[in-house]
Amino acid sequence: MNIVAIETATQACGVGVRSSSGVEVTRVLDLERRHTEVLVAGLESLLAESGLVARDVDRVVVDIGPGLFTGLRVGIATAIGLAEGLGCERVGVTSLELLAHGAYDAGVRGTLVSAVDGRRGEVFIQTFKLGDDVEATGVPSVARPRDVVIEWATNGASVTFTGDGVQRYVGDFDAVPNGQLFAQTVPSLHAALSLGARRDAQPSLAPLYLREADAVANFATRERRL
Amino acid sequence: MAVVLGIETSCDETAASVVDENFHVLSSVIESSIDQHRAFGGVVPELAGRAHVTTIAPVVRRALLDAGLDPHRPDIDGIAVTSGPGLIGSLLVGLSVAKAYALAWGVPFVGVNHLEGHLFAPLLEQSDLEWPLLTLLVSGGHSMIVYQSGPGQHEVLGETIDDAAGEAYDKVARWLGLGYPGGPEIDRLAQQGTPGRLKLPVSMTGADFDFSFSGLKTAVVRATQKQADVAVADVAASFQAAVAEQLLRKLRAAMSQYDVKGVALAGGVAANSALRAGVAQLAQEFGVVSHLPTLVMCTDNAAMIAAAGIYRLKSSGPSPMELSARPNWQLEDVS
Ligand SMILES: [Zn+2]
Repeated sequence: MNIVAIETATQACGVGVRSSSGVEVTRVLDLERRHTEVLVAGLESLLAESGLVARDVDRVVVDIGPGLFTGLRVGIATAIGLAEGLGCERVGVTSLELLAHGAYDAGVRGTLVSAVDGRRGEVFIQTFKLGDDVEATGVPSVARPRDVVIEWATNGASVTFTGDGVQRYVGDFDAVPNGQLFAQTVPSLHAALSLGARRDAQPSLAPLYLREADAVANFATRERRL
Repeated sequence: MAVVLGIETSCDETAASVVDENFHVLSSVIESSIDQHRAFGGVVPELAGRAHVTTIAPVVRRALLDAGLDPHRPDIDGIAVTSGPGLIGSLLVGLSVAKAYALAWGVPFVGVNHLEGHLFAPLLEQSDLEWPLLTLLVSGGHSMIVYQSGPGQHEVLGETIDDAAGEAYDKVARWLGLGYPGGPEIDRLAQQGTPGRLKLPVSMTGADFDFSFSGLKTAVVRATQKQADVAVADVAASFQAAVAEQLLRKLRAAMSQYDVKGVALAGGVAANSALRAGVAQLAQEFGVVSHLPTLVMCTDNAAMIAAAGIYRLKSSGPSPMELSARPNWQLEDVS
């Protein structure tokens, strides 16, 4: 099975290709939110380097978030166009699990918290247990970095933090006495290809926003005040 | 025969269409997220972006099937997509999906200016269009008079210096406690009212072809406060008449100065009854042909994008895969 992976949930943009012969190539194309400009062009060259053309692709894997809304939509719209256009399979994976698998593959074990920068002073987080395999022990949610830090500093359990949300609030996360940081900003493309190959194909792809549009949130608040 | 798939996602409409090189529309599908925006009195960009991601694939599939094409291996020669102007988050969905289809099918794609798309709309209904042509382009976001010496050859003679006509309709509708979007609401109400009952100043009397509607909106607010007894229908009729008067006065001035074969109306506000009647009358007066597109061609659609794309693919060639969206792309900068 020839698989492509698309990553646009953070400031970074990346692509990966794994051919049926097992050869895998992954590439971070950009780190500064130029998803639209680099994504399809980068995917085209990576396919060529792998000796493939678009028609050879059997499955498209995409990071559905959580992450930056606009970037997410660029990646997911691209995945939708590819899968629809080729009539091939599609699989969505989350940014938080890709970070967990990225840490796991690098040898991190024990309790891990993935944190993706959510802007507005918030991070998207999820807790995992890294043992024989990667197991999610929490659900993806939105939190203030300080609250996450207080929670873990208080419960005293040994924990590793990873993701661009940790990088962004490194001062806060660094202050947890029982915590360690695993430097990783881009969700793992290798993990996207591996998970994408293992999972069942999905009928459709939708972003995991975890947060309403501001206008809707503000509108609801206003309604309550009236 | 060359066939192009058009994709449009610049605002709240998610649209796809297949058009052939003779500008025959083989299919045209339009979905809108407008119901989600009504409560906010305007299009909420984040909601529009979310709706596009959900809707785009079914819309494109429907357009291909309606045109008798295989959605996975359509026999098409290119893809045209709106790359500006518009809401950035909305444009990016259409642009991303268009590039992906182009890669999947191995066909070229071209980024099209949305306003140029509007200028191509009359061609889809009257292929015997004669140039030069003057077009009054009025929509929620734009108000301009454009001189066209031929397809794709345009010069903006004048445009609004503040609000677009459609924006003024929305603001006045809100002031009157009417729904959003304001254009159809005011147009409907105006049919029951008498223009002139509310005294409004005549604005933009200069010799140029520019418009201004911000002052008119303020004038409506002041006048209704002063003449509180004027019925809402009469306010709507008076405001609509004042907008049409300014647009048509400038269009008349342009027609006196430019020797043209036809006059066309384009953009969402072109659905307005007063404007349609006024342009038809002007055409008669100057002895030229009037082009009043049907409602579905006035509002945002992808057939007009495909039409402009057919021209652009021929004249300027395909766009690179690195193309980015241009939320403020001016018609003057199209080449
Ligand atoms: Zn428009």
